[in-house]
Amino acid sequence: MPRVKITEYRAKKLLLGESYRGISVKADEPMKLPKSGRFVAKVDQGVKKRMKKGLVLLNQSVQGIRRALSRWNRKGFSRFLVEPLVKHNEKDEQYLSLERVREGIRLLHAKAGGVDIESRPEAIVNFIIKSDSDIKTAARKTKIPENFLSRVLDVFEKDFLAFLEINPLVVAGGKVYPLDAAALIDNAGIFFVKGDWSEDDIVSRARSYPAEKHIDDLAKTSAASFKLTVLNPNGSLFFLLSGGGGSIVIADEAELRGAGKEIGNYGEYSGGPTREETYLYAKEVIGLLLKSKAKRKALVIAGGVANFTDIRETFLGIIDALAESADVLSKARVKVFVRRGGPNEREGLELMKAFLKKEKLLGAVYGSDAVITKAVDDAINFVKRK
Amino acid sequence: MTMIEYARKGGTKILALGSHRPIIQSVLDFDFLSGKSSPSIVGLIAGNRKAEKYFFGQNEVLIPCYRDINEAQAAAKKVAWMLNLQSGRRALESTVGFFETFPQALGGHIFAENVPEKHATELIRHFSQKYFIAGPSGVGLLIPSALKLGAIGGVDLRQISASKLSTPGSVAVISTSGGMTNELIRAVADAGKRISFAAAIGGDRFPITSLTEMLAFAQADKNTKALVYFGELGGVDECEIVEMLKSKKFTKPIVAYIAGVIDEAFDEHMQFGHAKALVASKDESARAKRDALRSAGAIVGETFPEFLKALVKLPEKAFSDKEINIEKIMSREKSILSTREIIDFERAPVFVRGKKLLAKGDGVFVKTILEALLGRPVKSKITSAFAEAVFTLLVDHGGHVSGAVNTMITARAGKDLVSSLAAGLLTVGPRFGGAVNAAARVWLEGVANKIKSAELVESKAKAGELIPGIGHLKYRVGLPDPRVKELSEFAALLKEHRYYDFAREIEKITTRKNGKLILNIDGAIAALFLDILRECERFSENELRELIDAELFNAFFVIPRSVGFIAHFIEQKKNDEGLFRLPDELLFVRKKKIK
Repeated sequence: MPRVKITEYRAKKLLLGESYRGISVKADEPMKLPKSGRFVAKVDQGVKKRMKKGLVLLNQSVQGIRRALSRWNRKGFSRFLVEPLVKHNEKDEQYLSLERVREGIRLLHAKAGGVDIESRPEAIVNFIIKSDSDIKTAARKTKIPENFLSRVLDVFEKDFLAFLEINPLVVAGGKVYPLDAAALIDNAGIFFVKGDWSEDDIVSRARSYPAEKHIDDLAKTSAASFKLTVLNPNGSLFFLLSGGGGSIVIADEAELRGAGKEIGNYGEYSGGPTREETYLYAKEVIGLLLKSKAKRKALVIAGGVANFTDIRETFLGIIDALAESADVLSKARVKVFVRRGGPNEREGLELMKAFLKKEKLLGAVYGSDAVITKAVDDAINFVKRK
Repeated sequence: MTMIEYARKGGTKILALGSHRPIIQSVLDFDFLSGKSSPSIVGLIAGNRKAEKYFFGQNEVLIPCYRDINEAQAAAKKVAWMLNLQSGRRALESTVGFFETFPQALGGHIFAENVPEKHATELIRHFSQKYFIAGPSGVGLLIPSALKLGAIGGVDLRQISASKLSTPGSVAVISTSGGMTNELIRAVADAGKRISFAAAIGGDRFPITSLTEMLAFAQADKNTKALVYFGELGGVDECEIVEMLKSKKFTKPIVAYIAGVIDEAFDEHMQFGHAKALVASKDESARAKRDALRSAGAIVGETFPEFLKALVKLPEKAFSDKEINIEKIMSREKSILSTREIIDFERAPVFVRGKKLLAKGDGVFVKTILEALLGRPVKSKITSAFAEAVFTLLVDHGGHVSGAVNTMITARAGKDLVSSLAAGLLTVGPRFGGAVNAAARVWLEGVANKIKSAELVESKAKAGELIPGIGHLKYRVGLPDPRVKELSEFAALLKEHRYYDFAREIEKITTRKNGKLILNIDGAIAALFLDILRECERFSENELRELIDAELFNAFFVIPRSVGFIAHFIEQKKNDEGLFRLPDELLFVRKKKIK
């Protein structure tokens, strides 16, 4: 997953190095706060519009900080940033962002920063940085001190950043300070950054369901790719989809046919998972399906014509998972609809069909000669039937 | 002329950086189905072996491996395409190395996902103007009957055949998704069209050859009459198509599907399978892209089945598909260890004809060996000629015998000549090659003790023992071993051949029970050598017994066969296919979990 958010703490540490005085606080670790002073506290989990959501507190005492953190913790947040208060003039607040684009690095700047920058696009000036001389030009025109800008770009390159937004950036009398920073790193660069940032700095998406977490963990430990998001826990259509593009086409079909609300989950597996990995993935989806309170339920096992994913191997994994709950599934009158193509397609489909028939779960089984959306269409017809 | 047209005219030699067995095999299958006389992949840069074995049609071929790009440059000429199968981490370095070494190349495909964005933009800066490079990620580039650069079109023979990839047509296929590229190629074939070329841009944020550039190729390509496009939510690539349509830089009909309306079912924008598949602004949603394309004149399917229907209306010229029976090719079987042919002597060399010695028997080398073994000067040409004949016949009997197998496996484990040879020789014994001496003992003692042949056979049968020198797996009565036949002619040179006669007497009895129980090569060598030593070299019975006790007769197998083992060793080192592992199906049948 190439572009991912890192904590504000790490972003600033990359930018400012040793001179950065912020403290990263995790809910399950002891807090190490200074004894006195005025502070700023923020929830540091990549949440957007923190100010508006009340997840930033300015000018607090140590006690105030402790209270705020435990309050946020009760709301379910677990990572925080505590910084010494930097006093500044609102008129010194500027906007700066960098993004890697095809031609180089795009730099956006506005003389007046602040939370409502998005509503004033006309105030933003645009530069494409390709070389050191471009940095000089940008520094001259924006009046951001050149040594600061060079350092930011240097960090951006060296640490494989993909996006960086500093808003506000306080520029006063030749001194520069990033009050608020958000950064996306390019996860593919992890080998090259030599520990400047690590997996631990990546802000993970909040996961509401244990099944989603299990699949995240599975994905981390496999060469293949696995994704799972629960949409409607009481949906009637559950998906075991494969392939990045094909899975979207199939999910689209459900949405376009007005069955969007019926979709229990979206997800996909691809990149040649083993039988065992596919078993673990299928088990989670089947678990979600069984928990759903919908009356008529269908499992859709579908995907495009695979490049390398072995259909026989992966279907054996799915059959292993189905076999564990075959009785419960057939009692709940669940039907399984299949469309898949790729290496060992014939063998895989035959195995699946024989198994579904035997367990009285057979909806339909199609191969690559049927349209990719055939199985999901049949499944929608099945769950809509009164 | 575009890179695609160059490739159609024969610029299709591929160097693979790294190895990926299914992809490489699929390229060779495509080549074969397209009627090429040799594989388009001329080499692999892979590890520390010299070759990898693949199928070309039903036959096996060795694709040479090179340690690095410089070695490849020296050996592989006229390379036109890079197939980069290395990890994302190494993609930049290896791609730069390739194009610096082969500046005349036409392009390539980078297969890896997880190429850092910074590396991709660097590659764009260096190479995007000069070369056609599909990726990073995706499945590559396909030009029917000319070039298959990557997994594109599938890796399964049935798939390659079903998608009619050896028939050139008029519809170009361009897709951001690798899997959907295959789906689209198949859909075009099912709609009764054939493709002019197909390319996967790759799901990464920064493809080296951009969508605009690919469209420019499709526009410039005379064979291309229409374009089929698959895109997804996220990114603004489709704006490029809209721009090109509006400015008339692209004038051919486009049928498109943009996936991702499902995103509307989520509370927050979802990151889908591909890196780019995340909506960052309103214009990047699937609906916005669909609308923009439609307004610029593209046919955009609302649903996927609708999109498929639109394909049928695309223009196509007449074409005819080659009919190839792939089931026959699919029944091919891998050779497990050796590519050397199995040696069966249908005809053996002739040593003696009409009581005349044809072999000269004055070879200094053979004579020297014999004198060293016997410990005295050799008197007769017949003796030397016989030894020479035995050596000639026993040098090698193919790669399937136990000693050769051991030698080859040891060589493949990276061991040296002497270790490998020793491993092979250690199998010589009662079941393999070691029967000459045992047979000599039976013949000598049988004659010495005037044992009746029937009694000997009877006593051996009672004891449940085999008679050494008797029996063959393949040859039988009516189908004699040609080697035994020619060696037996030596008997005609002798005044008397008691041991040989005794052995034949035994054979008469055993073959009555079973036609396979004939005098075999071990038995014939033992018998004839005993007779020759007795008559031509004046060895007494006791002297012969001493030689048998010292196991001399097995030396007549060990000496020539050592040469054969060394030949197998050298072959393995030349091919250097890496450590040998028995295929699973030879070890056990995997238990099925399902009942």
